[in-house]
Amino acid sequence: MANELLEEHIQNEYKWGFITDIDADEAPKGLNEDIIRFISAKKKEPEWLLEFRLKAFRNWQNMVEPEWAHVSYEKPNFQDIIYYSAPKPKKELASLDEVDPELLKTFEKLGISLEEQKRLSGVQSNIAVDVVFDSVSVKTTFKETLAEKGIIFCSFSEAVQDHPELVKKYMGMAVPPTDNFYAALNSAVFTDGSFCYIPKGVRSPMELSTYFRINASGTGQFERTLIIADEDAYVSYLEGCTAPQRDENQLHAAVVEIITHKNAEVKYSTVQNWYPGDKDGKGGIFNFVTKRGLCLEDNSKISWTQVETGSAVTWKYPSVILKGNNSVGEFYSVAVTNNYQQADTGTKMIHIGKNTRSTIISKGISAGFSNNSYRGLVQIKKGASNARNFSQCDSLLMGDKCGAHTFPYIEIKDKSAIVEHEATTSKIGEDQLFYCKQRGIDTEKAIGLIVNGYCKEVLNKLPMEFAVEAQKLLAISLEGSVG
Amino acid sequence: MSLAETKSAVTQQLMESLQKQAPKIAFIPDAEIVSAIRQLEEKGIPNNKHEDYKYCNIEACIRREFKSVEQSFQSLGIEDIAAYKIDEAINLVVLNGAYSAELSEKVIAKGISIKSLNDISGKEKDLIASQAKSFSDSLIALNTVFCNNGLFFKVEKNNAIPMPVHIIYINNTDKPSLSNSRSFIHIETGSELTLIESFVNAGTGKVFSNYVSEKLLDENAKLTCYTFQNEGAASYSVHTNSVKVNRYANYSNTTLTLSGELVRNNHNVELAASNCEAHLNGLFLTKGTQLVDNHTLIDHQMPNCESNELYKGIASGKSSGTFNGKIFVRKDAQKTNAYQSSKNILLSDDATINTKPQLEIYADDVKCSHGTSTGKIDTDALFYLKARGIGEESARKLLLQAFAEEVIEKIEVESLKERILQLFEKTL
Repeated sequence: MANELLEEHIQNEYKWGFITDIDADEAPKGLNEDIIRFISAKKKEPEWLLEFRLKAFRNWQNMVEPEWAHVSYEKPNFQDIIYYSAPKPKKELASLDEVDPELLKTFEKLGISLEEQKRLSGVQSNIAVDVVFDSVSVKTTFKETLAEKGIIFCSFSEAVQDHPELVKKYMGMAVPPTDNFYAALNSAVFTDGSFCYIPKGVRSPMELSTYFRINASGTGQFERTLIIADEDAYVSYLEGCTAPQRDENQLHAAVVEIITHKNAEVKYSTVQNWYPGDKDGKGGIFNFVTKRGLCLEDNSKISWTQVETGSAVTWKYPSVILKGNNSVGEFYSVAVTNNYQQADTGTKMIHIGKNTRSTIISKGISAGFSNNSYRGLVQIKKGASNARNFSQCDSLLMGDKCGAHTFPYIEIKDKSAIVEHEATTSKIGEDQLFYCKQRGIDTEKAIGLIVNGYCKEVLNKLPMEFAVEAQKLLAISLEGSVG
Repeated sequence: MSLAETKSAVTQQLMESLQKQAPKIAFIPDAEIVSAIRQLEEKGIPNNKHEDYKYCNIEACIRREFKSVEQSFQSLGIEDIAAYKIDEAINLVVLNGAYSAELSEKVIAKGISIKSLNDISGKEKDLIASQAKSFSDSLIALNTVFCNNGLFFKVEKNNAIPMPVHIIYINNTDKPSLSNSRSFIHIETGSELTLIESFVNAGTGKVFSNYVSEKLLDENAKLTCYTFQNEGAASYSVHTNSVKVNRYANYSNTTLTLSGELVRNNHNVELAASNCEAHLNGLFLTKGTQLVDNHTLIDHQMPNCESNELYKGIASGKSSGTFNGKIFVRKDAQKTNAYQSSKNILLSDDATINTKPQLEIYADDVKCSHGTSTGKIDTDALFYLKARGIGEESARKLLLQAFAEEVIEKIEVESLKERILQLFEKTL
């Protein structure tokens, strides 16, 4: 039965795979200092930012692509990528009417109708959306409402123009431009992204959201997100991703940095649904992302929640550096792989401050011919007294051709630390299925039920709007992959 | 083995100094020796850039401690061995890497065959290097090229050996030396053996011991091993155990590490047929600047097998302890049950514990889990004891003993257990 259902699932098509036909303003293919100068000039960037890019690029040239991850793929040819692709028209947009109608249709298909957002804005609102399309931010909603509170939420390029002092101060603080191969590449060629600053004592009245989409063919997406929560501030930030169906692999190498000051809290949630390639593993996005949070001062908190269903190859470790005393780091993750997808994902919790706490809950589900790995590091530095960590990483296997792996690294240099780690690997129990079927629930629904139950601890952490989408995505990704 | 490195200066120097006295080895197939030399040429002695040796830099240790390798091994008399013997067992001696018939006791039990590796022939020869492959680890390669003469031990078909066999691996040197000891333990179909392996050091010189032991369990065989490592502060050692377990066979090992400046255990167990099991236990107690690194790999190749691991460690001073366990479940190994647990206590702020419990699973109908915890002595338990009038020091001791006992009590040879309990208490 498993095989039949698997067959059926394999027929499932990627539902977000459409190409929007709009003119794009592109840079020539390839990567060299001139391209970087071109991007920088195009974005009218100040001198220091160009220096930052060039420094990162020079470092990148001396770096080797990492090979330690449990994934295999054909390495991207970095000279065959278009590093800049901005949708036209590129002029400043005052209202949605000025946005290319094709573009708007795309968003409607994606189910994040900006029109609707706009219409709702007069009545009641709960999410502000920044849309990043081929690495260029096209529209940020509710900007004015947020501005009243002093919250800055805009595209990265705007932030560079309007708030250069903030960007200069915080950029590269959590992820230095020399951090790793892909972070260095991103630092050299990033084109846009989101910027968010919550001033002292402000709780963001709504959830902030960014939607990323790669559209043009042969382009790489290199966006950068920078979130800063000043003292006593709070924000919940959402991120979603999709890409059209294509035969070739496209590269997505983003950098996300979060910095929290005293008593601040940032809750970052993401539903990642990049195109995973077709049933034979052809095409799909390479998702090589560096995400890191820095609890800079005391009593701050950073929480990552992620639902990963897409990408051909994922390589992503949202981390928290717990520098301030009493700071808290959390990581909740569901990673689903099907067909020939490969995911190597996990987290790093670096305990530096005293009384720091971290929690890791990771749920992996592998089906088809896929490989799903959890790789995590819990490091308790000397002097991080009374640090506490609890990690749990569970894997669920569907079918006998997939793999589930766990690579936890635990390094402890303080005697007062308490660190626990547990992991299990299993399949959906025959008895669980039998129990459901006996009560008239068919196999398909029973699996959905069991998987949702299995992921509940993580899905519960997602904001309402995302939880619904995540559950749907889980169902689509796994429809009929077990028996 | 992903890091392709050119042969380092350290490896080069080491090989040159060993070459001078390199013995002629007749018992290892030529092809394996060629592969070993190639491995050493290409990869060299592993350092911390090497994923498997991340927490245990062998290259640095050799560079630091073994600038000159003099190979000044001394012989020992029967009276020198007496203290290490276990009364209730048959005591065999491997001195400076070679089997010593003079120092060993006469074997009266039926079904046991003991030879020095130089004397084996025919089918026995085909077994050597069948498990420990040079391409998988440079230290196996080093042993393959430079091992002197080891022990071949066999229990013939359908013999349950009534008393334990105790192999004492002893080194005696007065100047920095490097010993490459090798053994092959073969338990034939339907046989049973309890084997104690003690590792000690009688000399005053620094010694780097690179042990390779291959163990083969045929169908229905049972091998219960106790590995007792107490080599003292002048010793640096790497113990590679490559074990192959066949259908219905049962392998168990309990490793106790009490001293040794650097102790690295590579325990590779291949569950090569269905319905077999492996149990690995370990306990270490580190002080000063000691480093103990326990590496295990359990390779589940066939269905219905079971594996169990329990590793415990106590680290004090500036010492560091590592547990890196990997459970590998292949596609065909359905219905696998694998369990892994590592628990550690840190007694000082300068000590380090690293754990890396890995699962790599390619079969879906399996039950695999691992758990690891690291912490301090339970303050509630300490308070409970103190409230009952037990002094802080003795209460601590009591709790640590209780912590260690879970592993120590796996030892079924009474006199060995006594000896270890005493030593453990003394070291605390």
